[in-house]
Amino acid sequence: MLEKHKNFEKVRKVSKSGQAEKYHVIGKPRPRHDAWAKVSGQTVYAGDHKVPGMLYAKVLRSEYAAAKLLSIDTGEAEKIKGVATVMTAKDVPNNETVTRFGQTHSVGGFEGLYRVLADKKIRFKGEAVALVAAKTLAIAKAAIQKIKVEYEPLEGVFDPVEAMKANAYLVGEDESNVICSYKIRKGNVEKGFTQADVIVENTYRVQMVDHAYMEPEAGVAWKDDEGVITIRASTQVIEHFRGVAAVLGVPHNKIRVITPMLGGGFGGKEDITVETYLALLVQKTGKPVSLTFTREESILAHSKRHPYVMHYRTGATKDGKLVAMEAELISDAGGYVYLSPWVLLYSTVNAPGPYDITHVKVDTHTVLTNNTYTSANRGFGANQPCFAYESQLDELAKKLNISPLEIRQKNYLHTGDALASGRVLEHAVETEQTAIKALEALGEPTKPRKPSEKIGRGMASCMSSYGRMTFLHDTSRSFVSVELDGTVTVRCGVQDLGGGQASSLAQIAAEALGVPMEDVTVFHGDSALTPLAGTTTATRQLYMSGNATLKAAATVRRNLLEKAGRMLGMDPAYLDIKDRQVFIQPERKPWMVVENESRECTISYGGDRGDIIISEVCGNNDPDTVIPLTDVIKAAAADGIELLCVAQFNAPARELLDFKTGQGQVFPDFTFGTIAMEVAVDIETGDVDVLKIVTCFDVGQAINPLSVEGQMEGGAVYGLGYGLCEEVILDKGITLTPSLAEYLIPTSKDVPEVEAIMIQSGGGIGPFGAKGIGEPANVPPPPALANAVCDAIGKRIYDLPITPEKILKALNAI
Amino acid sequence: MENTEYLKPNDIKELLLIMTENKDRATVIAGGTNLVPEIRDGVKTPQVLVDVGDLQELVGIQLDRDSITIGAATTIAEIAKSSVIHEHFPILSKAAGELGNPLTRNRATIGGNLANASPCADTAPPLMALEAEIHITNAEGQVRTVAADKFFMDYKWTHLDKGDVMTRIAIPKPNVAAKGSHTKLGLRKAAAICVASVALMLEKEGDAVKRARIAFGSVAPKPIRAYRLEQYIEGKPVDEKLLSDCEPLLQEEISPIGDIRGSESYRRFATASIFNRNLLQAWA
Amino acid sequence: MNTYNIEIKVNDEWREAAVTATDTLLEVLRSKLDAVEVKNGCEQGDCGACTVILEGKPVNSCLVLAVQANGKEVTTVKGIGTQDSPHHLQTAFVEHGAIQCGYCTPGLIVSAKALLDENPDPTREEIREGICGNLCRCTGYTKIVEAIEDAASKK
Repeated sequence: MLEKHKNFEKVRKVSKSGQAEKYHVIGKPRPRHDAWAKVSGQTVYAGDHKVPGMLYAKVLRSEYAAAKLLSIDTGEAEKIKGVATVMTAKDVPNNETVTRFGQTHSVGGFEGLYRVLADKKIRFKGEAVALVAAKTLAIAKAAIQKIKVEYEPLEGVFDPVEAMKANAYLVGEDESNVICSYKIRKGNVEKGFTQADVIVENTYRVQMVDHAYMEPEAGVAWKDDEGVITIRASTQVIEHFRGVAAVLGVPHNKIRVITPMLGGGFGGKEDITVETYLALLVQKTGKPVSLTFTREESILAHSKRHPYVMHYRTGATKDGKLVAMEAELISDAGGYVYLSPWVLLYSTVNAPGPYDITHVKVDTHTVLTNNTYTSANRGFGANQPCFAYESQLDELAKKLNISPLEIRQKNYLHTGDALASGRVLEHAVETEQTAIKALEALGEPTKPRKPSEKIGRGMASCMSSYGRMTFLHDTSRSFVSVELDGTVTVRCGVQDLGGGQASSLAQIAAEALGVPMEDVTVFHGDSALTPLAGTTTATRQLYMSGNATLKAAATVRRNLLEKAGRMLGMDPAYLDIKDRQVFIQPERKPWMVVENESRECTISYGGDRGDIIISEVCGNNDPDTVIPLTDVIKAAAADGIELLCVAQFNAPARELLDFKTGQGQVFPDFTFGTIAMEVAVDIETGDVDVLKIVTCFDVGQAINPLSVEGQMEGGAVYGLGYGLCEEVILDKGITLTPSLAEYLIPTSKDVPEVEAIMIQSGGGIGPFGAKGIGEPANVPPPPALANAVCDAIGKRIYDLPITPEKILKALNAI
Repeated sequence: MENTEYLKPNDIKELLLIMTENKDRATVIAGGTNLVPEIRDGVKTPQVLVDVGDLQELVGIQLDRDSITIGAATTIAEIAKSSVIHEHFPILSKAAGELGNPLTRNRATIGGNLANASPCADTAPPLMALEAEIHITNAEGQVRTVAADKFFMDYKWTHLDKGDVMTRIAIPKPNVAAKGSHTKLGLRKAAAICVASVALMLEKEGDAVKRARIAFGSVAPKPIRAYRLEQYIEGKPVDEKLLSDCEPLLQEEISPIGDIRGSESYRRFATASIFNRNLLQAWA
Repeated sequence: MNTYNIEIKVNDEWREAAVTATDTLLEVLRSKLDAVEVKNGCEQGDCGACTVILEGKPVNSCLVLAVQANGKEVTTVKGIGTQDSPHHLQTAFVEHGAIQCGYCTPGLIVSAKALLDENPDPTREEIREGICGNLCRCTGYTKIVEAIEDAASKK
């Protein structure tokens, strides 16, 4: 039994979670590795990049939401001095391709038409009609003005419910506007409702919102010496090189996509934005091209969050047990399919919420209209149903005369329970804890500050998945190596939206290799030079690229410790690395392994090794021996031991769900959490003051608590905007909120301090037991707000955003 | 492509010369917070921009015996932070502090806010309630004074003609007994376009209103003074009965529209709410 | 086309540029003066990403015509501090985790510095008021306010 040595740190408690210190770097608040460059203005975002001789591009967009495109005359525009090229649909090698959601795994039926430039029929206002590249931006703008387009306006359809009808105007070239439908059938709802003592039935509506990232879409592209078209763009998916290649009709390995740090993504840069336009213009002109969307263009023409109409009927016994739920959700897919089927699937699985309900019937539909196309937006379909199911619960609680917490406690799912879609929740489910803690932290109620003020409190819990749908066989790759001077290099395709996706990898590699985080450099987001990590979407990066990085780093670590073991004459299981030193510790430390991986995994070269040449052995039994890591590295390098590893992590894969019953696993895991709010409502003006926000989530294991809190706080405010003041208002498909003066996102004065409480159950499937937080963090605010407002004024608002006008209407003041 | 000219006079004399030479083509610019985005969007295509933002004669707050004069090119930030304005005209101070955001306030000017002639102009209702006078010089150097409540003709149309330049805004010091009150409603707590606003000045004598000046913003094609409302409440005590009696009159005075920020009925109700609140506050 | 030769002192260095009457200071900073740290978020004064200090006051550079900045001093985030020699505001932002995507950060640092120059000991409410012209979509503002408060205490 070895004694404690002076080299060992004392075990300390981490304040927030009360966990004993298990890790050297994981779980410690650390400045992100990209923070200094950002705060000193050094970071070069996509639109900041300049290439000598680059042309400037502009996009001509349609004037109508629904119209026949009769003709385009680019003659005059092309004649302007300084114009390099004008392109329309006929100039695009493959103007129409089909996008499939799976990156490597085709899942037939889930496809959408990707049309680069408008052809024959306009499907939404802002659809791209033509491209111009010119020597200066001013010339490009002038050329756009000179392009003559002839339209024949068509009737269009702007309401998804109308668009579902038999004789509705057809948005696309199919026979129906309905893209797809899903259902869940569990038990028998009719029977269930007969067992209910109270039933609550309501229609909820949620509006179209914009991601409103601070950085509008941007990119610069050029052709390199080998003829590879390189696109440096703000994108969440560098894998779009495949889609771009298909449009251009060139091989995949002739398109390279690099993403610098993004100025925000939130799902709005998940679909192709500028990449194809840039590549086409580079291909046509042979010159570098730069394209940046204006804010108005961004609001007009990039994807939005789906508006939904949700009809819910929920029944409970007098004891508060949920016995029956029937829901119909209809989502507005806008002019093109994009990711609508996937978002709808998420909504379907999420429709009942994190609750045990005996009988469930869910029907969902997503429908084309001539509104702006809708696609991924932080939450990806989890948000909308949450507004409905959390509002329903509060209404039931009110009728039953029990508290909102109580009714939820009677129905929360726990580990081992199954969702209505049949999926058993195998991993940590701490929803109840998050609710109790969030409510507790609200503290004493604020007293009204004036006679017209009413104070109210509300809560909402949510479940929101992390990791991609399991029938997509998700994979991620990462490369880790140690340099001869002991510093660490990570190469990973991970796209960093600002959520610290790249920095987390640095922290994981630092933990595995026992070096300070500053010793790790991460090269990220280059489809040519970094192993592809998959999309930064679906709150999957920490889980996927985190695990891939851990796997790669753990392999290098194992090689190093085995060598160190021979140098020290010790069983490597008794060795650890910290602060660049290898030392002996009293207890066996288990090898770092990645858990919850698919059985059919493939480890690339550089991993488990072949012959080890035995070099010097210390034979020194002094337990105080410490070797500098660099010594081990040099010795291992001399032996020819591989000090690098590119690893692929395979998420466990499952079969496709059963579309008749909606039964299937669908998601790898969920994050559960609760947000509680206190508001003050002025009943004379309808104004709402948000006084307190508490957010509590089980994050499994916070890799970097500062980052996790940042996501929780930011998500609470992003979600609050959805609930309180944001709306893309369309009138027959025409945007009435064209800029940030009309489209209102919360300012620093609109929100109070957000208190973030992390629960760290360790029960996630990400590295070190982490769960994802990026999307889940923003799901609960709207229903928490609606519930708080209802608590304040005794009336419920059923559609978002909760404006002063709606409050006054609910109070029958107007 | 545009061929805009930019001229920057060093003093008033030069300014008048420029305005005479360019009378029909000149657009005065100071902070540019409205004008620059309009130029960018192609809404306005000025031929000659005449920059008065740095003209010393047009900048500054001057305290005289009976009035306070604000140069037309004085920034909103300066007005919001001025202790002189805060002391004598708290409703103007407050309205200035709620215009836009701290960054736009450092560039926006009081003259620009008025000249832009938006029905939502933040400084207009307080200036009207304070019975401010706007001094205008034409290209020939002739000066005229226009009362704030006569300055706005109709939607986006002011008393300013081509060649005119606003020089200063003079505000008579109110009676010591007068109290003011102001509220601006917006859909967000900062940087919000006004949905409805009210500014009023009230003088009490014994148990009755001696003198009332009431102005509204965003509820008509231009900022308005509610003369009939003022006449109605003068001579009466402010109480619940008065508030309910003058409600129909208030609704006749205003003519709000419905737009993306709210319906007509919402604006009507909200305006009544803030009017009542502010009247009671000024009366107390 | 009328062009004007102007001189602007950007972060203590006099720079020249030829501009039109309607070029904005933002456009000129980014395209002619290599100051791409000044960001374009909306180009109409709604987001604050383009905040610079002009003659001592924080302004939206998208609302200033370049010609109006002729002969004047402009400070961007790079004039406030660098990685090697940071301003304590920058250090506070890094340490508090107040930076996520970082796009609003250059403008925010400028606004915050101007705030602290005018009001060295602001309350949290005053901080929120002082930065309300700078929109942030990622952080929810909590850590930004904490960082500014911390920086103020370190004067």
